Amino acid sequence: MSCDPERVTGFVDDALPAGERAELETHLAECPTCREQAEFESGLRSRLRGLAPIEMPPHLTRAVQRRLRPAPRRWLAVALPAAAALVLALLWLRAAPPFVAWELARDHTSCFGKSQLPAKVWGSDPGQIADWFGGDGMQIPVVPDSAGSAALLGARYCPLIDRMVAHLYYSGDDVNLSLFVVPGSVRMGASHKAQAMGQTVHLLRVGGTVVGVVSASEEAVEAVERALTRTVARLDTGR
Amino acid sequence: MERVRATAVTRDQRFEAEALPHMRSLYGTAYRMTRNAHDAEDLVQETFLRAYRAFDGFRPGSNIRAWLYTILHRVRTDAFRRSQRSPRTVELANDGPPVPPPQDALAQGGEDLTRALASIPDVFRNAVVLRDVEDFTYQEIARILDVPIGTVMSRIHRGRALLRAALGGRKP
Repeated sequence: MSCDPERVTGFVDDALPAGERAELETHLAECPTCREQAEFESGLRSRLRGLAPIEMPPHLTRAVQRRLRPAPRRWLAVALPAAAALVLALLWLRAAPPFVAWELARDHTSCFGKSQLPAKVWGSDPGQIADWFGGDGMQIPVVPDSAGSAALLGARYCPLIDRMVAHLYYSGDDVNLSLFVVPGSVRMGASHKAQAMGQTVHLLRVGGTVVGVVSASEEAVEAVERALTRTVARLDTGR
Repeated sequence: MERVRATAVTRDQRFEAEALPHMRSLYGTAYRMTRNAHDAEDLVQETFLRAYRAFDGFRPGSNIRAWLYTILHRVRTDAFRRSQRSPRTVELANDGPPVPPPQDALAQGGEDLTRALASIPDVFRNAVVLRDVEDFTYQEIARILDVPIGTVMSRIHRGRALLRAALGGRKP
């Protein structure tokens, strides 16, 4: 055979098939050039094998381990349950009567504290107001047009932390009063009475819907409550 | 939940026990590939990160060392592609004397060899390092570099010839 330097390399590395290996052995016996190449490569191989190992920086193992298990995971292990607990707490809180009462009192104070009532619909006819809400699919119970000196003025939607409520404004001689229709669940029995932000807040169930009445005057609140129960308290399903 | 956590721990422990012990030799190869400690560290870190993510696909009992080297070379190749430089287009001429690592210089008679090794083109050096320093077989090197066995033999041959020339022997 003629000289094939690549195959000599394969021979040195013991990577040739048996037949080719025998053939090359015969060739090496009679070819000093290829023999010399094989000897050089064998020598080079052992010198390379004998090279001192390259020293690894001592911090590399820690650095790799840190990247494999990054801190955010450990952080998540704490943060995820905490976030879940917070969500559960909020879910619990949103349906708690004292919290709803506080929200309604805050909204009442804020609306009547403005120079002009932020009503979106004006009118003293409860049917007209109910129609206005009904147009958006919001069903409200039949409400009184007045109670004591306070008469219905208008209404608007009002955002609580997790839901929109219907906010109806009543006003009379030195009395401002809000009637809220609160959709969704509130954890209470037939009624709940509270004081929040200097206001009297009564929550009551009217035909399956929770209604909140808020005023600084407890008398006015009770008057509306009486009027509500006098009126046929039913869900206005016809609209 | 508990079972999921137990599985995750086992997987992590298995990876640490099986893969991490090869870090030293991977670093050595990475250093010879990149010729500087900073790039070698990056390369090793990226290799282990990728290996960790792909560990579920690794068949237990197969050659983890060859598997890790395959990833090492893939990471290196990707980095080359990203930097728009291909290992195949590296200048064949010596481009100045590379700096050998100090511990090699201390090895008896190793300095000239390390210098020569660093001076030859990546594509040949990598093949020679895998064969002669890391002692992989041609089959393993073919898998690691994703080339045919004939190409492995040819690269090793050419690499050794270039080393010989660099060491002051006759021209390859």
